[in-house]
Amino acid sequence: MKTTLDSLLHARGGPTTEELVQEPGRFGLGRLPSRRAPASTVDSVCGFCATGCSLKVHLDDRGQAINLSPSPDYPVNLGMACPKGWEALTPLAADDRATHPLFRTTKGGPLRPVSWGDAIQTFVDRMKAVQYAHGSHSIALLSTGQIPTEEMAFLGSLFKFGMGGLHADSNTRQCMATAHVAYKQAFGFDAPPYTYSDFEESDVLVFSGANPAIAHPIMWQRVMRNPHNPQIVVIDPRHTETAMAATDHFAITPKGDLWLLYGVAHELIARNAIDRDFIEAHTTGFDEFAQFIAEYPPERCAAASGIDASRIRDLATLIDQGKRVSFWWTMGVNQGHQSTRITHALINLALITGNIGRPGTGANSITGQCNAMGSRIFGNTTSLLGGRSFAEQTDREDVARLLEIPIERIPTQSSLAYDQIIDAIEQGEIRALWVIATNPAHSWINQDRFRQIREKLDFLVVQDMYASTETAAMADLVLPAAGWGEKDGTFINSERRIGVTRKVAVAPGEALADFSIFRLIAEAWGCGDMFAKWTSPEAVFRKLALLSLGRPCDFSGIKGYDQLSVAGGIQWPFASTTRPSVGDRLTDSLSIDEDSSSERRLFADGKFFTPDQRARILFEAPTHAPESPSADYSFWLNTGRGSSAQWHTGSRSDKSDVLRKLAPRELYVEIHPSDAERLDIKDGCSVTVGSRRASISARAFVTPTVSAGQVFMPMHFREVNRLTFAAFDPHSRQPSYKACAVHIERAS
Amino acid sequence: MIAPGKPPLLSLVDELLAEQQSLQTPVARFSEHHDNVQRTPDLEPVYRDLIPLSAPAPGEQYAFEVDLDSCSGCKACVAGCHSLNGLDEEETWRDVGLLTGGHEDLPWQQTVTSACHHCADPGCLNGCPVLAYEKDPATGIVRHLDDQCIGCSYCILKCPYDVPKYSERLGIVRKCDMCHSRLAEGEAPACVQSCPTHAIKIVKVAVDLDGDRPRVDTSDFLPGAPDADFTQPTTRYVSRKGLPAEVRPADAANPQPQHAHWPLVILLTFTQAALGFSITGLGSESTLLNGVALGLAAIGLSASVAHLGRPMRAWRIFLGLRRSWLSREAVILGTWFPTLTGTVILSGQFPLLAPVAAAIGLAGIVCSAMIYIDTPRQFWRAPATAIRMGGTVLVGALLPIAPLAAATALAAKLAFEFTQSRADTPSGQLLRQALKPALHLRLALGFTAVITMSFVTIMVTKPIESVATWVAGVVWLAGELVERYLYFRAVDAAKMPGVQTG
Repeated sequence: MKTTLDSLLHARGGPTTEELVQEPGRFGLGRLPSRRAPASTVDSVCGFCATGCSLKVHLDDRGQAINLSPSPDYPVNLGMACPKGWEALTPLAADDRATHPLFRTTKGGPLRPVSWGDAIQTFVDRMKAVQYAHGSHSIALLSTGQIPTEEMAFLGSLFKFGMGGLHADSNTRQCMATAHVAYKQAFGFDAPPYTYSDFEESDVLVFSGANPAIAHPIMWQRVMRNPHNPQIVVIDPRHTETAMAATDHFAITPKGDLWLLYGVAHELIARNAIDRDFIEAHTTGFDEFAQFIAEYPPERCAAASGIDASRIRDLATLIDQGKRVSFWWTMGVNQGHQSTRITHALINLALITGNIGRPGTGANSITGQCNAMGSRIFGNTTSLLGGRSFAEQTDREDVARLLEIPIERIPTQSSLAYDQIIDAIEQGEIRALWVIATNPAHSWINQDRFRQIREKLDFLVVQDMYASTETAAMADLVLPAAGWGEKDGTFINSERRIGVTRKVAVAPGEALADFSIFRLIAEAWGCGDMFAKWTSPEAVFRKLALLSLGRPCDFSGIKGYDQLSVAGGIQWPFASTTRPSVGDRLTDSLSIDEDSSSERRLFADGKFFTPDQRARILFEAPTHAPESPSADYSFWLNTGRGSSAQWHTGSRSDKSDVLRKLAPRELYVEIHPSDAERLDIKDGCSVTVGSRRASISARAFVTPTVSAGQVFMPMHFREVNRLTFAAFDPHSRQPSYKACAVHIERAS
Repeated sequence: MIAPGKPPLLSLVDELLAEQQSLQTPVARFSEHHDNVQRTPDLEPVYRDLIPLSAPAPGEQYAFEVDLDSCSGCKACVAGCHSLNGLDEEETWRDVGLLTGGHEDLPWQQTVTSACHHCADPGCLNGCPVLAYEKDPATGIVRHLDDQCIGCSYCILKCPYDVPKYSERLGIVRKCDMCHSRLAEGEAPACVQSCPTHAIKIVKVAVDLDGDRPRVDTSDFLPGAPDADFTQPTTRYVSRKGLPAEVRPADAANPQPQHAHWPLVILLTFTQAALGFSITGLGSESTLLNGVALGLAAIGLSASVAHLGRPMRAWRIFLGLRRSWLSREAVILGTWFPTLTGTVILSGQFPLLAPVAAAIGLAGIVCSAMIYIDTPRQFWRAPATAIRMGGTVLVGALLPIAPLAAATALAAKLAFEFTQSRADTPSGQLLRQALKPALHLRLALGFTAVITMSFVTIMVTKPIESVATWVAGVVWLAGELVERYLYFRAVDAAKMPGVQTG
């Protein structure tokens, strides 16, 4: 009686309770809500950043993704993911997905749905018309680091070999061009030398212009696993999350890093705290460098770097005392007016102290986008497929032979860089632009200018998952693309690991994989025969493996996607003769024996990819930033990642309610308390931030983590790049997003 | 399927569209894990050391422990909890925020993760009118009975940490249960499993059950979070490096307007006006006034039903009488309405009914006020709530017979509200900024009502029968509705630190 009454009064079960009831999970997953019990799982590499985490996607009995969790035994992420990874499926279901091709029939009119047949025919007719009227190089391509390597290779090949285009660049210009160029110049090939276990093996880690705690949390996980009680040094104008966790922070003046690094090099050489044997055996240019650096004693570097001479010496001491010193950098270094030389300054420190090729060492670029590395090798934009050169006859011959295409179809000139393409559009030389999986109307530096050049284009095509991006909204033609999770392919991560990404969801409406869109364009363009064998991503992967044969990035030993899945990804180089490393979970069934002694770290033998196998020591005198604070614009504006929950222009990450909750919703500007007090700016109040380009409003966030005289704004908000100043590194043509001059005042 | 005679491009379109819409079935996949059996979770070695080996002893309970030094700010815990618990798209049981502090030479920031603190003396549990919260005697986990919940949201007002989350879809609140079913199987909670740097673990803490109320050692609770005294939260935030003397939440300067709760606005305003009218109406035996009072009470009480996400379960509302002001309000106001109806009909025969009805009504309104006073919210503290709610009753009672007194009372109330809007508090900031238009409307309506009431005083001899009085009444009531709307929207909802710009 009592229990009956109690159960009537207290409903401990029922339909709402059942919503969350869990059952023991299978597939090694632990308990999961019964409502979302998977029928099977498949591992797929994440499509946000270049960490390259594997996500174990939970599938229903139709093979459709219903949930995911990080893959427990993938050598990259060891069962962990950042919130973007956890939420990777959510943006696929956004209601602003492009579901049909859209065409703007009249200027200023609306985009209206058209059939794929009409859309592709329009694409071909309009592109050809532009080429007919203005020459075959009057069409240009802006590609991406966000699609699989197979699609990038198809796109670059279709555009250059099939359509006769020349000028093609990618949004990797905005993030990794500097690392690419700097490695090529110093090592002879774009080859980040490290493996993630180096994070765990260093005793001194130097992070410059990098905030991995929030930008690459799963790499930071590896730092936290380091058992050697390491010294962690952060060089960054801001006291970031990473600086908080570091053992030492060098709060440089924006763009003061070259001075700081030269001061450190000077000190190391002056103390003879360098590895003469390594320098002698494996580098060229040291004597010139030593002569040059003699002019940069710490006292001279102090003012411009913002770091006292004694602190510069402290940093030299740390590096000197370290047995396994590693140097890591990302956008703070890559994006600058002298970024290539700053990168070389870091590489030089590794080279002259012999901190390369051994566990826990290296000059290690942390990559941005999930497949920036794929783009750098196979985008066919700046470099010819496989990291080759368009200018080299033998390289062109190789590609022509391997792809069975006439060598005349391969251009001998290289492409204009991103900023030069924009210039050429402004000058009327380029009249049609094809933009794929990137959003320059939001992300390009000094954004208003990009918006203005729209008027100069006869034809703008945007191929994207969303019809709502700032760039798609300007387009004449929108081609709806399937996104990550809706197609197969491979990505190459920051440590050169090739991993498979899988189709686990049906694309909405008539959206098609970029791969399929390229097939359609090839067919309609009349170059279908050239790509007759490019029938599936895996077929293309095998071609790419062939193209890599004998190159530094040789992965001809990889047989196909299934091998990659079982191995937990494979780092290049992996030539047919290579034996697998610890991280690669290869099984006997795949006919390769485990060899635990091998590591896929580069340059263990001190041999680089230059013709003489020596690394180059490169340097240049520091110059002032093209725009720096003045009386009218007295603050430095620094821009960058706001939180781990935001990805670039937010076209995907803003579609997840969970990620939206984890990030600030309104544009804010970080300002130091002393500046705020002087300008009567209260925390949370509206302020106007103006540069010589534009003026925008934001909410003040008063915090001592930004230095006095500097302000910081997160790049994910559309307005921010209206302020930035279009300066470029002369070698890499990468934009300098992180240093321009602004003024700030209370909004009236 | 290629249609005969179709151009090759269109055939290829058809072929590729069909291919795009097909998925590899699990069986066909090479990479399907051939381990479709129950086994120890793959992550067990990772989290083994992050959960206690044994269940809490008597006088102990489970608690979250957050190592601030290890937390790097990646926020994976929120997303991991969301996915592994199968929550709705917009629902999160764990939240993160940012604390800043320090000074130029030693700037400081810290990401803070928090879920339910499984308090020793939980506000949610103490306020729930249907006893939908239970504190598990063995583990101390504060569990929510989803099928018991009526969706009144009172727990949301009672919790100082913004933990219970209302689901529009389900019409109930849900919250973190520390993954009790996982813990029961020796599996770590989702947040513990998903933290890349092992910053969250489950520990056992001592609970003191001997005093007037259960208590825990809250010295390791987070600076910058709402006062731990109210509910005795058990979460421990530890740091070997220590925290600066002064820390502030990144969203401190950006209070957000809260839910308007329109049904409650109508309930409170109308029942309070009805009580005022009825006191005077029964005293003066004005049928019109009594009728209006009954009508307002009926609308107000009906509106309260619309506030509930699950009204069909509300019959259990008496269960919480022992400790929930909401139960008491519901029961007493529920009694008041039939009493008032009977009184209006029968007061001629039973003169004692009128004071009884008034007393019950007053008791009900006191319970209404206590619902809000008994929350950790400054804007709703006792004097403010008493002035606002009591003021409505008072003006309602005075208006039909003494409009000048009513005008004076209303003017005093308006002055008080204006003072609150000028105060250097989060509520004052909200009233001056985000809610400025509504505040202006409130003041304009109130001021017009004061003028109209004064006009009635001068021009009308028998206000109860004058149209002008009723015009003043309508304007006044409209103003009171806006006042109560602001009462809800401008409240300083206590919460854990949030991210920049709220």
